[in-house]
Amino acid sequence: MRIVALTACPTGIAHTYMAAEQLDKTAKALGHQIKVETQGAMGIENELSESDISQAEVAIFAADIEIEKQERFTKIKIVRVPVQEAIKNPRGVFAKL
Amino acid sequence: MTPHVGRSPEFSFACRLAGGLHARPASCLAEVVSTFASDCVLTNHRNRATANLKSVLAIIAADVRQGDDCCVRVVGPDEESAQVALRRFIDHDLPLCDESPVEIAAPNTQALPRALRQTGVSCYFGTAVSRGIGQGVVVVTGGLALPRGLEAENGQDSSREQEKLGRAIAAVRGRIEAVLARQTSAVEAAILRAHLAIVGDISLINDINARLGNGRSVGQAIVEAGESFTNMLRRSDSLYVRERALDMQEICLQLLEQVYGARFQPLTVELHAPTVVVAETLAPQQLLALNRRWVKALVLENAGLTSHTVILARSLGIPTLVGVKDAPHSLPTGQEIIVDANRGCVVAQAPASVRRFYEREAEAARRRQEFVSRYAQAAAVTGDGRNLEVAANVSSPGELAAAFERGADGIGLFRTEMLFVGRDGVPSEEKQFEVYEQAARAAAGRPVLIRTLDIGGDKPLPYLNLPREVNPFLGYRGVRLYADHEDLMREQFRAIVRASAFGRVYMLLPMVSSLEEVRWAKAMLARVQAELAAENVAFDRAMPLGVMVEVPAVTFILEQLCSEVEFFSIGTNDLAQYVFAADRTNSKVTALADVLHPGFLRLLKQIVDTIHQGGKWVGICGEMASEIRYLPLLLGMGLDEISAPASEIPALKERVSRLSNANCNELLSRALSCRDSEEVKDLLQRNLPVDKAWPLLDRELVILESESESKEEAIRELVNACYVAGRTDDVEAMEDALWARESLYSTGFGHGFAVPHCKTSAAVAGSLAVMKLKKPIDWGAVDGQPSSFVILLALRENASESTHMKVFSQLARKLMDEEFRKDLKVSTNADSLLQFLAGELNIGSH
Repeated sequence: MRIVALTACPTGIAHTYMAAEQLDKTAKALGHQIKVETQGAMGIENELSESDISQAEVAIFAADIEIEKQERFTKIKIVRVPVQEAIKNPRGVFAKL
Repeated sequence: MTPHVGRSPEFSFACRLAGGLHARPASCLAEVVSTFASDCVLTNHRNRATANLKSVLAIIAADVRQGDDCCVRVVGPDEESAQVALRRFIDHDLPLCDESPVEIAAPNTQALPRALRQTGVSCYFGTAVSRGIGQGVVVVTGGLALPRGLEAENGQDSSREQEKLGRAIAAVRGRIEAVLARQTSAVEAAILRAHLAIVGDISLINDINARLGNGRSVGQAIVEAGESFTNMLRRSDSLYVRERALDMQEICLQLLEQVYGARFQPLTVELHAPTVVVAETLAPQQLLALNRRWVKALVLENAGLTSHTVILARSLGIPTLVGVKDAPHSLPTGQEIIVDANRGCVVAQAPASVRRFYEREAEAARRRQEFVSRYAQAAAVTGDGRNLEVAANVSSPGELAAAFERGADGIGLFRTEMLFVGRDGVPSEEKQFEVYEQAARAAAGRPVLIRTLDIGGDKPLPYLNLPREVNPFLGYRGVRLYADHEDLMREQFRAIVRASAFGRVYMLLPMVSSLEEVRWAKAMLARVQAELAAENVAFDRAMPLGVMVEVPAVTFILEQLCSEVEFFSIGTNDLAQYVFAADRTNSKVTALADVLHPGFLRLLKQIVDTIHQGGKWVGICGEMASEIRYLPLLLGMGLDEISAPASEIPALKERVSRLSNANCNELLSRALSCRDSEEVKDLLQRNLPVDKAWPLLDRELVILESESESKEEAIRELVNACYVAGRTDDVEAMEDALWARESLYSTGFGHGFAVPHCKTSAAVAGSLAVMKLKKPIDWGAVDGQPSSFVILLALRENASESTHMKVFSQLARKLMDEEFRKDLKVSTNADSLLQFLAGELNIGSH
């Protein structure tokens, strides 16, 4: 499956990146293709482009805060989970897709 | 004061003194009246109180406030001249005696520490008036109620009793004078002088004598008179006057002690171990009599911010709480208590966790001192190689040893006023020479900037007969009175020049505003040097002469002065006062004299630049130099030296070593273009120009085998580690920022790991602290497992911290890797742990 994901936690110092790492690792282990954008203290990194999103089947939002540039995701199915969920039980997140 | 013309023998006036007729104006008034034989009685129409104007006590007790209408009746052999003099005094001189009552800003009483709140322990609250934390066994002193056991004593014939009284008064006076002669602190001296005034107060003596005439024993008479006066003072609406009741009682107790000798219970309490002195009231002299080594804190039920005891406790650095209700009864003798005068609480019967909290706080404070002391003896050099001399301000030779122990590169300001005040006449040349020589020798090759006499105006010397002034700060002071006091100055110059043979002595002139004053000093210096040469006395012919930059006019003749003198020292306190036209003793305007005002910063920059263009050296010795947050500005100015109280030197030197001179220059230029001081403050808070060489990883920030037993303790320990290593100046703010993040959801992300983190301006630098716990603790982690490995990530609130943030994000990702976590867990040695992290994260470490 082609997946896009986005992570964002309150301070953007730690959990944003932990969640991104977990989603990345787990997707690969499950045989998915994934690109994870982080919205943290360094701003937006690994930004998802229009084509990234249009080519994906589903978007995972692991976010505890309002995310930026939400308008990119109007035409895609979104699965929302708390950041902690993505860190603690990433396989469970993919099971929801 | 506006005296209204009245018919003899009375006249009336309305009090215009903002502070009313309190201690200082009252004693000035009594001084004038006492030169006449006539009786002068004041009546305060508001409260119908009357006062013999020869008695300071009676005047204070009459509680004359601003706006009160008073009437003065003068009757006696010299009533006419007395009334003329008194009217003139009230009209012209009394307004000059005004002073705002001493106000002490109470420190911010912060919320209780988490460790305390957590235990739910009850504590006693009070107002913290002298900061710090003290711990010890309670010693309750008996308050100052006058003993009644002496009532049975029979009065002998009244003349013999009067003799006893006379001897007691003389003895008490002599004792206070003896202490006064030894004291070096201006605060102590002022209090003792107030006591001297009470002991010689005519109303008190008359009252006691009248009771002796009625057949009382001298003891009874003192007790009764004392009670009557203290009650009178206590009834006052003015807190200041009520607090003088304490001084009154103290004097009466001392008189009784003199009369009865060993039969009277001694005032002093012997201390032999760390002690918290608890009292309903404690008189200043009782505090002075205690062994300071053992006094760890004071808890007083009754004492205001202006009480002499409190002022004294502050100057002695004793943590003090006042207003603790029923303190002597709820805190009984022998009990171990903790006084937290940062937060305003007393904890008795503290549970182990609270005792642990304070022990750990004390340990952190100790480690901080130890940490900065490593920087004390080395030169203060910025990360990019610029040296800044960090010198000490001292007022007496007794402070020299401590200054050099704390790493002073020199004495940037040796004040000589203390040699001249609190004595009957000018100190001899020999006496002065001894002190200056001692300073030169103690400095062992380091420079000592001896400032010549800066007296006059607000700091009068009785034996110089200086006139009272309307605007003392704009008046006859410093170098301005030298030409009129040639002999006095010749002796001081001689003493300083002679001392120059024993070290690197520099001579500094205060309050210079013109070339003429400098030329006068140079001529005197040349004369003195010629005399000493003729006497075959050794001295340093090249002893540099310098001037204080504190009068604004002088900042525009620096070019000319550069060809007359060798160095300059900027006195920012006075310079700011004059530049802003804001009296620094007037609490209504003192905030205007803001050294962060861009106009003031531009002036300082211009001063330093002009002096450097003239090829001369310039330092700074005002309070501004001791404020660690201003250090980047001072470095940016290009100052050659800063001079601060000795206690600040190690921390200042440590901070210099952290900064980048280039970045300080850049920060200063931004500050100079700010519009107001708020912008400057904001700039300073957001941008600490830390040198790149200050790494994220730091040996000080690795805690192996932590004894922390709770999340609260662990977070506090990590924050304290940052404080010890100079990575935060505000422990509470950093702690709050971490807890604010924890309150969203726990940073315990499972597997026994937690990553508390924050982004805050309380972090001086990006920091990564690592803690391994001996016993895992509950962190509220997402997997419900206790945590044994904690990593603190502190980011400075600043957009330009992306390098640190990259490392943090990399670390966060790696923490998701089981192998990485295992490697962290198995390392048992701080150095190998740091090496491992540095390698994995591709960064350097300390």
